[in-house]
Amino acid sequence: MKNQLTLFAACAVLLLSLFAFVIPASAEDVKMVGTISKLVVAPDGKSATAVLKDTKSGQEVTILVTDELTLDKFKDKRIVEGDEIRCKFEKLDGKNDSKIFKKTAGC
Amino acid sequence: MIKTRLAATALFCALLATTATAKDHPGDESIKSGGYHGPETCEECHPGTARKFLDTVHWKHASKVTNVEGLDPGKEYGMKNRIYVMCNGNDIVNNLKEIPKSPDTGKTKFTGCNTCHPGNHLSDVGSSGPEAEKAIDCLICHSAEYDFSSRKPFKDAKGRVVMGQDRSTKSALTVGRPKVKNCMACHEAAGGGVVVKRGFAFTKETDVHAAKGMVCVDCHRAQDHKIATGLDPNNWANDGTLISCADAACHGAKPHKDPDLNRHAAKVACQTCHIPRTGGAFAKDFTEWEKGSDGFYEPTTLRKEANDTTPVYAWYNGTVANSAHFIGPKGNRSDAKSRITPFKIFQGKAYFEEKSGELLSMDFAPPMANGDTRAGVESASRTLGMKNPAQVAQKAVTGWQTIYFGSNHLVTKTKALFCANCHAPNGVLRFKELGYTDQEVVKLTNPDLYMKKLAERQREEW
Ligand code: HEC
Ligand code: HEC
Ligand code: HEC
Ligand code: HEC
Ligand code: HEC
Ligand code: HEC
Repeated sequence: MKNQLTLFAACAVLLLSLFAFVIPASAEDVKMVGTISKLVVAPDGKSATAVLKDTKSGQEVTILVTDELTLDKFKDKRIVEGDEIRCKFEKLDGKNDSKIFKKTAGC
Repeated sequence: MIKTRLAATALFCALLATTATAKDHPGDESIKSGGYHGPETCEECHPGTARKFLDTVHWKHASKVTNVEGLDPGKEYGMKNRIYVMCNGNDIVNNLKEIPKSPDTGKTKFTGCNTCHPGNHLSDVGSSGPEAEKAIDCLICHSAEYDFSSRKPFKDAKGRVVMGQDRSTKSALTVGRPKVKNCMACHEAAGGGVVVKRGFAFTKETDVHAAKGMVCVDCHRAQDHKIATGLDPNNWANDGTLISCADAACHGAKPHKDPDLNRHAAKVACQTCHIPRTGGAFAKDFTEWEKGSDGFYEPTTLRKEANDTTPVYAWYNGTVANSAHFIGPKGNRSDAKSRITPFKIFQGKAYFEEKSGELLSMDFAPPMANGDTRAGVESASRTLGMKNPAQVAQKAVTGWQTIYFGSNHLVTKTKALFCANCHAPNGVLRFKELGYTDQEVVKLTNPDLYMKKLAERQREEW
């Protein structure tokens, strides 16, 4: 019994470590600078999608933003459509999950 | 005993904090019925506040400065008039204005250092009198729901450049103690972008105090709007009150159970162990600007996120070396007031006057429109009344200035430096450069110093 448990634990650890390797390998971090062409905050306020127009390629990319600090900046209009953004996002399950979403401008 | 007292204080503070946020501002009823008309609305119940505000660093962007070499003790210094290479402009030479049209797009925009001033620009940095009192943007620091789309420069009917404010009654109905985001409205994007200047983010991931729900003003306490600060070598203007981690009201001089750690505090600043990383811009070139996607130019800037870079360590006694090519800490090993302190190191390239070698400042309007940086120097020289500005700009030579910025946020407990982070041969401190003799370095890098303690810790952890 005890042996079985250890074996099970060992398998679990092995499996977990496998995942630990697999997830970062499949996720891809992308960096871009782009201008917000469309910004929509979800009705519950817990997420938002921003369409960024890549300043290099002109391509439009839809970014999912879920961190509270950035959402708050959308709500009180510190970040609005037309602002240029430095963005780092992770491609996960077909979504572009924002990791860094900051205005390029300052003073 | 001390511990229980500490815990009790913490609990008391937490309670205070929750009651403070739960309770409505007693002025709400009155503001709701009469509407918000700027500071005079607040003055009904907080008389004299606006007048006193005009005498603070936040209004004047300047103060007398006593700890920096080479300054006139009778004059005031600050972002209003300083020249250094993080900004290379100031409120005077880079006054808020509409810049020339971009030749590419035919568009213009507003820019200037005094966008980070809580006035309306008509009443500008350091102004005084009744008009200035009426112009203060109380809500930028006190409203929980400030609408930032109102805080934009525009031209009024007379063609004057005005800095907009949110003066809505709705926002005035959310008045309270300043929150992190109120302070960060200006402090976050200083130096030309988020995190650029100071390299810190104040979030639960990046700072133990933020993780505990603390806000800026829990440490930066204020009396009559004079906000307490520290001795960052590059933050000269101050309101005369100082704060430090070792203040009795905060941690005191002996905060650790481990006497080995407490002993170090005499020679090693708290920040050295507790702020092992820094971030933000580490180099900028004001002589070559880069064209952005909107057709406007910005100084070429190498930037990193918070915690992306390592600090530089130096002895610091609170007094500051100040020359055309270096702004940073003074101090040394044998000076009892000096401690080894971490700094965010930054280097900036700019123009220096050909003959005197003095650093020159820049008006950003010309280079922003067309990349002509010498035209920016010429305009600034003209504003400052220098003789023959065109020639000053033409003959100016390029060079670098190095700045040591204070590194006082991004505090960590779990990643604090421990014995081997410094005493191993590849530790973060360069003992030799810090003034220790070869023999002392051998002792300071001998594992005997930490072997027992780290072995014990390893046993506990595993
Ligand atoms: C009708 C009276 C009244 C008006 C108008 C008023 N206040 Fe107050 N305010 C009070 C009282 C009473 C207190 C609580 C006593 C104290 O702390 O001084 C208070 C407290 C405060 C506090 C401390 C809050 C805290 O939680 O510590 C701030 C900040 C403040 N007011 C700002 C303002 C601002 C800004 C305005 C203008 C928009 C304003 N007040 C207008 C009556 C008023
Ligand atoms: C409207 C913009 C603005 C806002 C809002 C603002 N600051 Fe500042 N602050 C500045 C500028 C600009 C300086 C630099 C002044 C100088 O050096 O001349 C400064 C300097 C400081 C300093 C160092 C000098 C001093 O006064 O002690 C501290 C500390 C500080 N701010 C804290 C805060 C805190 C805390 C808040 C929120 C309650 C805040 N600031 C809100 C613009 C702002
Ligand atoms: C740069 C930010 C800033 C601006 C602008 C500002 N305040 Fe404050 N105010 C503070 C800070 C910081 C405190 C201290 C908060 C604390 O320690 O709880 C404070 C405290 C107060 C208090 C509480 C009592 C006191 O004096 O400590 C009142 C009332 C107040 N402010 C009113 C005003 C009014 C009215 C205006 C506009 C004329 C204004 N404030 C503009 C930052 C600001
Ligand atoms: C846990 C306490 C604490 C909190 C919270 C805190 N600060 Fe500080 N801050 C300090 C101390 C201590 C210093 C000065 C230390 C020294 O120079 O020895 C300082 C220095 C500063 C300075 C002067 C320049 C520098 O970096 O040294 C500014 C500006 C500043 N703080 C702004 C802020 C803002 C804005 C916030 C909120 C986002 C904030 N601080 C939150 C403790 C704190
Ligand atoms: C030589 C490095 C070093 C110096 C200098 C230092 N600390 Fe620490 N400190 C640490 C370490 C490491 C820990 C974590 C201890 C642990 O995990 O047991 C710590 C823990 C703490 C804690 C948490 C204590 C607890 O029991 O949870 C506080 C508060 C603290 N330090 C404050 C300070 C202050 C204030 C200063 C300056 C007076 C300072 N430290 C100077 C290394 C240092
Ligand atoms: C931030 C770097 C740093 C950390 C972390 C640190 N030390 Fe030190 N330590 C120093 C410095 C610098 C000195 C020399 C101080 C002086 O000039 O008196 C020193 C001195 C000492 C000395 C005296 C050596 C002598 O021969 O004079 C001992 C013992 C020591 N440390 C042990 C420790 C132990 C144990 C720890 C972990 C609990 C530790 N240190 C953590 C930087 C550090």
